[in-house]
Amino acid sequence: MKDKLIDLVNITKSFDGQTVLDELNLYIRENEFLTLLGPSGCGKTTTLRILGGFETPDSGQVIFNGEDITKLPPNKRQLNTVFQKYALFSHMSIAENIAFGLKIKGKSKTYIQDKIKYALKLVNLEGFEDRSPDSLSGGQQQRIAIARAIVNEPKVLLLDEPLGALDLKLRQDMQYELIRLKNELGITFIYVTHDQEEALTMSDTIVVMNQGYIQQIGTPEKIYNEPENAFVADFIGDSNIIPSLMVEDKLVKILGVPFKCVDTGFGKNKPVDVVIRPEDIDLVSPADGTMTGIVTHLIFKGVHYEMEVTANNFEWLVHSTDMVPVGTEVGIKVDPFDIQIMNKPVSEDEEAVGVEE
Amino acid sequence: MIKKVSQKVYMALIFILLYAPIVTLIVLSFNASRTRAKWGGFTIDWYKSLFQNSQIMNALYTTLIIALLSALIATILGTLAAIGMQGMKKKSRTVFMGLTNIPMLNAEIVMGISLMLLFIAFHITLGFSTILIAHITFNIPYVILSVTPKLKQTKRSTYEAALDLGASPLKAFFSVVFPDIMPGVLSGFMLAFTMSLDDFVITHFTKGPGIDTLSTKIYTEVRKGIKPEMYALSTLLFVTVLILLILINVSPADSKKARKVITKRTKAVSIICKRVVPALMAIVLIAGGFYYAGQGGLGTDDKVIVYNWGEYLDPEVITIFEEETGIDVVYEEFETNEIMYPKVQSGAIAYDVVCPSDYMIQRMRENGLLAELNYDNIPNIKNIGKTYLEKSEEFDPGNLYSVPYCWGTVGILYNKTMVDEPIDSWSVLWDEKYKDNILMQDSVRDAFGVTLKYLGYSLNSTDLDELTAARDMLIRQKPLVQAYVIDQVRDKMIGNEAAIGVIYSGEAIYTQQENADLEYVIPKEGSNIWIDSWVIPKNAQHKENAEKFINFLCRPDIALMNFEYITYSTPNTAARDLIEDDSIRNSPIAFPDDEELKDCETYRFLGDEFDSVYNEMWNKVKAS
Amino acid sequence: MKNKKLLAGPYLFWSVAFVVIPLLMIVYYGLTDTSGAFTWDNIAKITTPENLKALGIAVLLSVVSTVICLLLAYPLAMILSAKSVSQSSFIVLIFILPMWMNFLLRTLAWQTLLEKTGVINSILNVLHLPSLDIINTPYAIILGMVYNFLPFMVLPIYNVLIKLDRDVINAARDLGANSRTTFFKIILPLSMPGIISGITMVFVPALTTFVISDLLGGGKILMIGNVIEQAFKQGSNWNVGSGLSLVLMIFIIASMAVVAKYDKDGEGTAF
Repeated sequence: MKDKLIDLVNITKSFDGQTVLDELNLYIRENEFLTLLGPSGCGKTTTLRILGGFETPDSGQVIFNGEDITKLPPNKRQLNTVFQKYALFSHMSIAENIAFGLKIKGKSKTYIQDKIKYALKLVNLEGFEDRSPDSLSGGQQQRIAIARAIVNEPKVLLLDEPLGALDLKLRQDMQYELIRLKNELGITFIYVTHDQEEALTMSDTIVVMNQGYIQQIGTPEKIYNEPENAFVADFIGDSNIIPSLMVEDKLVKILGVPFKCVDTGFGKNKPVDVVIRPEDIDLVSPADGTMTGIVTHLIFKGVHYEMEVTANNFEWLVHSTDMVPVGTEVGIKVDPFDIQIMNKPVSEDEEAVGVEE
Repeated sequence: MIKKVSQKVYMALIFILLYAPIVTLIVLSFNASRTRAKWGGFTIDWYKSLFQNSQIMNALYTTLIIALLSALIATILGTLAAIGMQGMKKKSRTVFMGLTNIPMLNAEIVMGISLMLLFIAFHITLGFSTILIAHITFNIPYVILSVTPKLKQTKRSTYEAALDLGASPLKAFFSVVFPDIMPGVLSGFMLAFTMSLDDFVITHFTKGPGIDTLSTKIYTEVRKGIKPEMYALSTLLFVTVLILLILINVSPADSKKARKVITKRTKAVSIICKRVVPALMAIVLIAGGFYYAGQGGLGTDDKVIVYNWGEYLDPEVITIFEEETGIDVVYEEFETNEIMYPKVQSGAIAYDVVCPSDYMIQRMRENGLLAELNYDNIPNIKNIGKTYLEKSEEFDPGNLYSVPYCWGTVGILYNKTMVDEPIDSWSVLWDEKYKDNILMQDSVRDAFGVTLKYLGYSLNSTDLDELTAARDMLIRQKPLVQAYVIDQVRDKMIGNEAAIGVIYSGEAIYTQQENADLEYVIPKEGSNIWIDSWVIPKNAQHKENAEKFINFLCRPDIALMNFEYITYSTPNTAARDLIEDDSIRNSPIAFPDDEELKDCETYRFLGDEFDSVYNEMWNKVKAS
Repeated sequence: MKNKKLLAGPYLFWSVAFVVIPLLMIVYYGLTDTSGAFTWDNIAKITTPENLKALGIAVLLSVVSTVICLLLAYPLAMILSAKSVSQSSFIVLIFILPMWMNFLLRTLAWQTLLEKTGVINSILNVLHLPSLDIINTPYAIILGMVYNFLPFMVLPIYNVLIKLDRDVINAARDLGANSRTTFFKIILPLSMPGIISGITMVFVPALTTFVISDLLGGGKILMIGNVIEQAFKQGSNWNVGSGLSLVLMIFIIASMAVVAKYDKDGEGTAF
């Protein structure tokens, strides 16, 4: 992996006495597609705005290419932003919008013309030069906003929930478009979203945030398969989170029933949380199961069936391609490496991090 | 940091600009002196006398009722229109918005005039209803413009959801849409109310006799000097609104702080602040309105409509007259003869008794606007001195139409400490050394009369050369003049604003009481001696009442009351004999001897043709 | 409600009866003489030297005070729009509040403030500063206009500015514009509807006022509004007054056209 391009050091920020970011540390490598993921109010947008220079942190530093840019105004930074609601200049034509940054830099007319052409081609909107922003659809406006940002050849492109206002199909198209763009341009993307699917699809690295804290940093696979705490587990995909007891290394008691697992180093007889993804649960005949239960709900979901199985007073969420009718008694079986063990939150701060309804 | 400070300083400066006049008015409301030009010590008397001043209280309640009704009706019409416009196609909506913009962007004066022309053309008597219609008209756009944005924000889906859940369209509207647009409706109402309250120009053109809003009342008082009660009233109004606004604005902030625990108490407080207090105030206003309106006796037909100069009658006299005779007096004031004449002439308003000056009586007589008096109903004519009746024959031969009420001269009022030489000639009005220290009368005949006299001509000159000479003199004088005013000469002279002013003798007595440095003189070139008399217009509806009213004013005790109130010389010799103070009974200002008056003339009406010659020349002076 | 638009019916009736027809009355009176015959004379009256001068003074004073209002109001609206909502709504009320003190009294109070022996000069005197002699001059009229009409400039600009998307400004900064460029290239053009509506809301009443010139000009300065007022209230020449009003209406219609051009969605309205 390449070197650190941006380093956020001990960033703290509060608004009206409410702490939004608390001692946040994060670095971003060159040419990375990094996504800040979290529910609204988690501090992801504030982080992005601090990067863009629209907010100044109360304390901490923003290091860019080895230089401290914490106090640098936005217009002096080598980053450009694509805003959530596009923020196009409604009193200018598309061409004028795109040319805005270049004109300020004093580029020549022909250079600007070429750049506009190139950028519009890049976002598949050739020939839109003289249209006004109001005459464009949401998706088109979004592409113009991206074009307007990238003509300035920024080192980093900041994207603040850029697809939030688009419908599902368009959103999926734009996701591929963005990945293509990033590969063509070869620059760093920092992307903010609350949509976990979007994050999993596009990112090299995902930073899961909640209530001003970073919960977990990792590749999409790692975040999905090995959530570090109940919040991450619950936020990313569906999961069964069960309070359990770690009896000893590689043995956990779930709802009073011992299960084999692969985790070590939690100590003996320690209360923990266990995460089991619904697709990792195998429904077998009662005799073969580690635990037995009754199927109480059944829904067809297209690619799979979603079932609820009541076992030992817990409602297990199970995804399976095989249908089991309601009322059937089944056995529950989980492979040891599909059981993810997490520490219980200890401090009050971490409690706040916990799963919300 | 510097930016923050300079922002604060800037805001503070704007704030001072906005509120300096308001503070001034509040301070004036505690000024013991009747004139605004002098600080006479602290008093709260004006607040007490305010509530006894039925004219001001009447005007206040008229203002409030018109504001309330017009805002209410405008809110209903405007909200309906805004909703209707939502349902329109773009084209017709544009037409409606254009219609809405007309009163917003149109000049008030044009709108006022246009409505006045409409009312008169359709023979709608100018009065309460015409003011109300005018106010509703200019208020509707404010409501539409505050409701429309809120309507745009409400989602159609919520309305449809309500329908889906079984509500009737009306029910759905009131339970779902209306609460959403409520803030817009309310702010529209408040704006309309405020605009109506503050309007002067449109009311000025659409009002009729006997009805005054605070604005028009103040406008008539401007010439004379505002009554201090008016300052007191404005202060009360302002403070009330201020308190209301603070209550409304502070209560939500409180509940925000205590968001987690909304106790019953804070809720109660907020309800009291937001609902109960305004509702109580509204009830007080409306009840008071009916009370005072009832007192004004708008309903009875046994009345007399009086059209008099501003501040030219002791209000107490009217009360006594109403008590003794049971006749209601509808009282209206004018500022100059020239303003009065067209109103009587147009016949839009049927006045019963009017008090014009000599030359204007002649004009009204010659143009057949006056009714002959029945002296059987005016036995008190015997109290009027023979000399004044004789003098009146100059403009009213045979005393058929008029009964003298006040008389006086036009002269120079000067400040002894501000002039170097004894003043005895009109020439000081052209003296360069008094540049910006001269107050000139803002009326055609007085301005020309003074100049013609100075030039040695008659003040009734119809010689075009003489008039042109006078006009040029006046144009030459204009740079020296501090201001053209009418009755404001009084306040300005008391306040040492100017050294010299042209003034009526009646005002001189009062100014000397207030400022001992002032002296009045009838210049040696001669001047105008004038008589204001009561006449009855031909179209009067209550002629007998009018004659009763004139007769009443000729009673010595009543004439004395008026003399003491307005300090203008009375032709009522019986009343003069009743004056206790020797120095006033024999005052050379109030009652000059014949020697001083030998070069004085009364004005005569010069015919419509010369009237317009004078007017055109005066316009040239004013526009120069 | 399918027939929702019918709800606008009463308003339509009202508007036609009390806005449109009265204006037609002015047109009628303006184009006829006292006997009712058609004539252009009343309108031609505007070309007499006195009336032209009155119109000229009115235009000059109203333009100057409109410009001053704009220069004062814009920074103020910017400061206000940066404040939090509850705070700024209170400040906006502060602008409306003076209207509860009668307009005539407020204007008249400036006489007391500005007079030779008035409040301001007394203070200047105590401080040994030169006195301010602007009462009864055009400067006093301009002051009166700025004082009375400033809120009508502040409110529309403020209303446009608070609706401005902060991110649009951020975007400009992000694309390299310094605060100056951001202001002139982005904020100013985008607040144009508010500015235009503010300008008309100040210019029209300033152009047509007769009260302010009356109260603060010492009767020495005649504006077109005074001429019209006198024609109706003193001269009783309704035809000439209407003719001159028609001339004024041309100015008003012109400004309405300007508003319609810049403010298509009605977003620049004051309230």
